[in-house]
Amino acid sequence: MRVTDHLPAWDWPPLLGTLLFVALMTAGYYYNVTFVQLGLIDLGTRLVGLTETRVSLWMAGLALLTLVAAVGFGVAMDRRGWSRAFRTKLRILLAVVTVQFVLTLWAPTIRSEAAFGAWIVAASVALGVGFPTSFSLALDLVPVPDRGYVAAAITALTYFAANALPLEWSIGVFSRVMAVAMLPGILALAVLVSGSVARVESLLDCLSEQSKTIGPGRFCRPTPPGTRSLAFWWPVVLMFGVFFVDSLGFLRIIETPTLVLASWQSPELSTRLLIAVVHVIGAVMAGVLYVNFDLRGLFLAVFGLFALTHVMYTSDLRVAGLFPALARNGPSILNPLFYAVAVSFYTTLNFALWPDLSTSATVGTRSAIGIGVAGWLATFLSTAVALYLDHAEYTLLSHLNLVNALALLLLFGLLVGIYGRRMVRLARAEVAG
Amino acid sequence: MSALESLPLLVVVVLLLSATGADPSAMTVVFDGETDLAVVDNEVVAVGGGTATLEPNATAAATVFVIGGDVTVRGTLEGDARVFAGNLTVAPGASIRGELQTIGGETTVAPGGTVERRTSLAVAPRPRSPVERAGFILAQVLVMAGLAALVARRVPGLLATVGETVTGHALVSGVVGSLTVLTLLVLFVYMAFTLVLVPVSVLGLLGMAGVGVYTYLVYGFLIGQRLPVTRPDVAAAAGVGAYVLLLEGLGFVPLLGTVVQLGLLAVGFGAVLLSYFGLQTWEPVSLPR
Repeated sequence: MRVTDHLPAWDWPPLLGTLLFVALMTAGYYYNVTFVQLGLIDLGTRLVGLTETRVSLWMAGLALLTLVAAVGFGVAMDRRGWSRAFRTKLRILLAVVTVQFVLTLWAPTIRSEAAFGAWIVAASVALGVGFPTSFSLALDLVPVPDRGYVAAAITALTYFAANALPLEWSIGVFSRVMAVAMLPGILALAVLVSGSVARVESLLDCLSEQSKTIGPGRFCRPTPPGTRSLAFWWPVVLMFGVFFVDSLGFLRIIETPTLVLASWQSPELSTRLLIAVVHVIGAVMAGVLYVNFDLRGLFLAVFGLFALTHVMYTSDLRVAGLFPALARNGPSILNPLFYAVAVSFYTTLNFALWPDLSTSATVGTRSAIGIGVAGWLATFLSTAVALYLDHAEYTLLSHLNLVNALALLLLFGLLVGIYGRRMVRLARAEVAG
Repeated sequence: MSALESLPLLVVVVLLLSATGADPSAMTVVFDGETDLAVVDNEVVAVGGGTATLEPNATAAATVFVIGGDVTVRGTLEGDARVFAGNLTVAPGASIRGELQTIGGETTVAPGGTVERRTSLAVAPRPRSPVERAGFILAQVLVMAGLAALVARRVPGLLATVGETVTGHALVSGVVGSLTVLTLLVLFVYMAFTLVLVPVSVLGLLGMAGVGVYTYLVYGFLIGQRLPVTRPDVAAAAGVGAYVLLLEGLGFVPLLGTVVQLGLLAVGFGAVLLSYFGLQTWEPVSLPR
């Protein structure tokens, strides 16, 4: 049953449950894409005085530690039965958000590398515990047919806020904004887990019951794929490729003032607003496609968009190299807009995919491996590769050309894989027949 | 015209050069600053911006393509000059010994300036009179109606299947259609910039136009089903006529009309692709309830 089916009967708990999930995931992801991904660079380079390379190494360490913490905690969640205990997951989330609140307040006061390192370790553990827990709530709160649209809503809200709100990319600003936003969230979670408000208890009881009716994810029917099966690992590998391509390209783009000032950090609100709106449109499109197509079509769309985006970036750079006067008016806005659509596509896919590849007994491990390997390990490796390219003095064009090649290779590989799989099936049918 | 806007014209120049057997790599391209045409080494100069001047008493044996900026000839140009955009001025006492061809932009030959041969190829659209406009719409209606009648008579199932996708899955058709149209347009433009892929780009754009025409037939078929006409081919023809007129009418509504036009195109385009031009009924994946 879909959430909207409950509306005519004024059955509010399922709708409130979905809204709770959207709010938690949006807040968590916004924290990740702003405070963690952008704020830490500013903290390390400006306040602690580290070189960009040193900060990148710490960021890579954060990614690796988060992966380890997530997989460890995800497996523990499943083994101890926390994945199936709705209230327990809310208590864990309260603890995580409280730790992150303290870390958020502490961050702008850090001035030494030792403290910076300690902060990274603590943040890694909090993130590693937080994301399998929050993703597992999808199995309690979001009916399977709604997951594409819910994932789209989370993506759209996060990227709209991240682009439209005119925040300076500095740790001080991020810290203040996050602290103000986290405090009511902590209070709300505290009320939810307190067990002392009758209405809240009644709501939680309804949601706990609902989780039994939602059942396993879309790709777990009729039988869930094993954690060691190809059916689970091919989306992991493809999502790893997507994250890697995105991260490797974006790391260089945000280091290039001409590109980033004409897009994500443009002084013009209209430019940032345009990117924010395109993010929303891309997320809605991805949500519609997620509920109407199988995974192959979605991955093809994501890789196709990334390949096209990087073809556009590299073509522009080549043309600007041949005719410098062309670069006089600044880079084309079309490139970041396509980039925004591609990012919204795979982010939406990421939010819906792991719960849909899980049952309530496996969601801790699956989401930890999925997001840990695809997201964090890809980020770790792309940071390492970006550092190597930086040391090797790769030009912007050479760097983006490499990303472009990877995107095209993934697109081509997926097409060949789909075609080859179909051929194998036909050949087997021929032999069997 | 900005340097970026003049890039497509540069592609045209390169294609023209290739067609005449000249080597495009031996061309000097000027996009900004001041250039003295007398000191340019190459036999072909493309001016896309800035100013280019041939000083009095100077001679240049070059073919000059003007695709932007300002070109002033005060001396003697031994080759041809072709103006696509921008300005070309032949000053008093100056001469062009070859052909001065005006395709677009502004060309001024001052009294006392001499040009061996002057031609023009005006491609600027002129506003249509109401009668011409009505005639154009009528011709469009007749051609589309003929096509719709033909397809509806020969293979009625195709249009019906695409029509079912339009009516049953409008949202996903719109998403697929808009995404495909946008990405293909960008892809074909970038293909054209590579020059070697220009034929593929042109074929691709023609293919897109073909799908666009097919959407007219589908919408016409859907409208025709709702008309009190029993013969399917006549109904489809009448429906297409109504659809063409509907689109024309929407053109008079500012902004919203354009949005609806683009929306119809996107939904139709997506439905055509999803249903393989009507060869297969499209169904979304089945989600557990």
